[in-house]
Amino acid sequence: MQVRWFSICDRNRCFFSIFCVVFTVALLASASWAGSNDSGKLTVYVVNYPLQYFAERIGGEHVKVVFPAPADVDPAYWMPDVKTISDYQQADLILLNGAGYARWINKATLPRFRMVNTSAGFKGQYIEAPEILTHSHGSEGEHVHESLAFTTWIDFNLAVRQAEAIAEALGRKRPELKDAFQKNYQKLKQDLLKLDQDLKTLVSKDPSRPLVVSHPVYDYFARRYGLDIKSVHWEPDEIPTNEQMMELNRIMKEHPAKWMIWERKPMKESTERLQAIGTDSLVFHPCANTPDKGDFLSVMRQNIKNLNPAFKNDF
Amino acid sequence: MITIQTLEFCYPNGEFKLNIPDFQVSGGEKVAVIGPSGSGKTTLLNLIAGIMTPQNGTVSVDDAQVSTLGDLERRDFRITNIGFVFQDFELLDYLNVFDNVLHPYRITGALKLDKAVRDRAESLTQDMGIGDKLKRKPNDLSHGEKQRVAICRALLPQPRLILADEATGNLDPDNKILILDLLFKAVSDYNATLVAVTHDHELLKHFDQIVNFQEFKNKAAV
Amino acid sequence: MIDSLNIAWKYIRFNKVKTATLVACITLISFLPMALELLLNESEKQLMSRAVSTPLVIGAKGSALDLVMNTLYFDDEVPELITMESANRVMDSKLAQPIPLYVRFQARRNPIVGTTLDYFDFRNLRIAEGRQLAILGDCVLGARVAESLGLKPGDSLVSSPETLFDLAGVYPLKMKVVGVLTKSHTSDDLSVFVDLKTAWVIQGLGHGHVDVTKLQDPTLVLKRTGKNVAATAKLYQHTEITEKNIDAFHFHGDLSHYPLTAVLAVPRDDKSGTILRGRYLKREQTRQVVRPADVIDGLLQNIFRIKNVLDAVISVVALATILAIILVFALSLRLRQREIQTIFKLGCRRATIVRLLAAEIFIIAIMSAVFCGALIWMVNQFSNDLVRMLFIR
Repeated sequence: MQVRWFSICDRNRCFFSIFCVVFTVALLASASWAGSNDSGKLTVYVVNYPLQYFAERIGGEHVKVVFPAPADVDPAYWMPDVKTISDYQQADLILLNGAGYARWINKATLPRFRMVNTSAGFKGQYIEAPEILTHSHGSEGEHVHESLAFTTWIDFNLAVRQAEAIAEALGRKRPELKDAFQKNYQKLKQDLLKLDQDLKTLVSKDPSRPLVVSHPVYDYFARRYGLDIKSVHWEPDEIPTNEQMMELNRIMKEHPAKWMIWERKPMKESTERLQAIGTDSLVFHPCANTPDKGDFLSVMRQNIKNLNPAFKNDF
Repeated sequence: MITIQTLEFCYPNGEFKLNIPDFQVSGGEKVAVIGPSGSGKTTLLNLIAGIMTPQNGTVSVDDAQVSTLGDLERRDFRITNIGFVFQDFELLDYLNVFDNVLHPYRITGALKLDKAVRDRAESLTQDMGIGDKLKRKPNDLSHGEKQRVAICRALLPQPRLILADEATGNLDPDNKILILDLLFKAVSDYNATLVAVTHDHELLKHFDQIVNFQEFKNKAAV
Repeated sequence: MIDSLNIAWKYIRFNKVKTATLVACITLISFLPMALELLLNESEKQLMSRAVSTPLVIGAKGSALDLVMNTLYFDDEVPELITMESANRVMDSKLAQPIPLYVRFQARRNPIVGTTLDYFDFRNLRIAEGRQLAILGDCVLGARVAESLGLKPGDSLVSSPETLFDLAGVYPLKMKVVGVLTKSHTSDDLSVFVDLKTAWVIQGLGHGHVDVTKLQDPTLVLKRTGKNVAATAKLYQHTEITEKNIDAFHFHGDLSHYPLTAVLAVPRDDKSGTILRGRYLKREQTRQVVRPADVIDGLLQNIFRIKNVLDAVISVVALATILAIILVFALSLRLRQREIQTIFKLGCRRATIVRLLAAEIFIIAIMSAVFCGALIWMVNQFSNDLVRMLFIR
């Protein structure tokens, strides 16, 4: 009898032990799940590559930054499909450039609370682009407000402010990581300010040098660094037509530019036609989309190097 | 069966007085009560049935001194021992024939309604010639059929005393004879006593005893 | 007792009209106050729960009740409009999260609610079928709208013109149904949800057409300058937003000046809410901020005051009805005097006679109770809709 009692007790003890183990494991698992949920990566969706670069620099290992636009499109005019918009809707943060960048924003439904306009802090400094032809309806109608220039990030001072807005937004989402984000932001700020200073130094050699740009995407750049630019609408992968050449010549009469700044490497025939009228070409890539190689900083450094000959500087 | 001793009855308003000298009815006798209207014939039936109580005198039915019983006892006695047949049939319009016949069993605890009673009711209605009309309502019946239903209702408890108050008053001559025959048959079948108020002198020859209220009145006047 | 009930039931069946009238009277006089109580309790529950769950509403100064009814229950009465600037100000203040609303238009008698995605999170609305709003022209239906109109994802729904004869006014936009919400048993079930910008497109503030700057037809161009091309009213505008023409859609003017009917403000905490409310109490403000719970509480107090009057009236009517019913019974007894006399003569006890009459009253009472119960049950089943029909929309 005694033996039987002992084995029953032993079995109960065994069940109890198993129960305790299972309970503890479950408790730990749920705690770790809760914990991992709170300290998991923030999913950040962006509308252009510079914002992606800034977010990754600032967020580091704590963020997963997604920029879904295909590499061969201009993100300003790209229209994502419904699935991609849905992905944007699920993001923890959506970083917008502002100044009317990414036309699709006004045609899509996004969660306002999770959207951050990185240029809201300097919206008073937006530039109306006079080159853009607008339309209105009737004699009293308002015109379309798509006439803002939007490549704010190539004014590196404004880029710093955009990065600052990103750091603040990330800090609001993850207050416990605010200091880490600020630290990273400061490093990025130093890099951007260095670019800013390098450009200022470069341009200061000959600030009034007239320049022509292939597309009206350098307004903020020109304003910040005091460049005297005129814009045409030439595509790097198209040879300028005779009409386009005539238009350029007309501009050159009042604005004798020796250099044309291209967004991407132009066709050989285009550069030859320009050289024929005494104008050389250089590339200053706005880097709106992901570069084939390097990153934002390396591309901008290369851009500044490319500008050197225009200011006759041994930089 | 019925013994009346020096019965004196007066309505509460004092307008009508009834004085009935001693008289007796034997068991199994068929008694006709005649007299002018308002002479108290129906009152006599009510006194015999215990519906009213006299101021003086006694009414006995068999061994029961009805006039001295309490109200509840009189009602129970009435429903178990006396079958009433009325001039205007007094059937309930909302009950069918069968329910009308069974009605006394449903309104008192003194009578127990069971299968035997239902079977007897069916048999009784068959005998009365209304066995095929059990589901009909009284409004769907002729006067003669209605009175037969009333007779079935009165006879179902197998009463020892049948009181018929102008039972043939609203019937045509053929039905009068028919109803009277049914009543007389019941008297012999149940060994009951019949006291019938009637205005129909042609029927008097069928009765064993005739009670003339005019004589009572004359005697009372004396 | 069974016999009494049996006889009573047969009497009642025989006198159908009288019984039906009595049952109807008793049913109605019992049902009315109970139904009223039930509906008012339900209305209080519905109105209050929605109001309590909405911290603050910002709108134009004016009737707070109209503002709250339109904002929370999508009432037909459109309040004075405010602009998107109000929502932006709340956003910039960092005191609360704003959810703009534009509830002005309808689609087949169902309100179109122009808002942002945040509204769905705020109201805990989930997609039952299809997907969430994604692009201009999408609409998501409340559960009851989908049921009543027989629509599902992939179908289309056209917005209703505001007036039939205003050719220059709001004209229909063919919207694409992309999703159906789960039932929430609120006004959301009866609404059509669109992006705020889609609501502006319905109004005509946003639209799509061919590139005006490239127009050749001189009848379509009013004026051409170096910077702007003004088009004439002849220019055809798309009435449906598709994948092919979405690029053509745009908005004129500054979006911060675009209209809203209200802004829901969800304060970060009580202190922020108080500060926000304080800012709107200044006289120079043309906006008001209201706490829906306070407004609805006031409304309910008015309703209950009216209810007290109604209760008094119903009580008087009930008394009159009861007296009438007693009179009917008394008259009925009189008419049945002969029957009572008969059964008395047969030997029926007084108690039995009383029991028979009581059985009739009991059956009538039970029937009335059953009908009343059934009616109350029906009112309960449809109380949601009845309240909405009677008190809300």
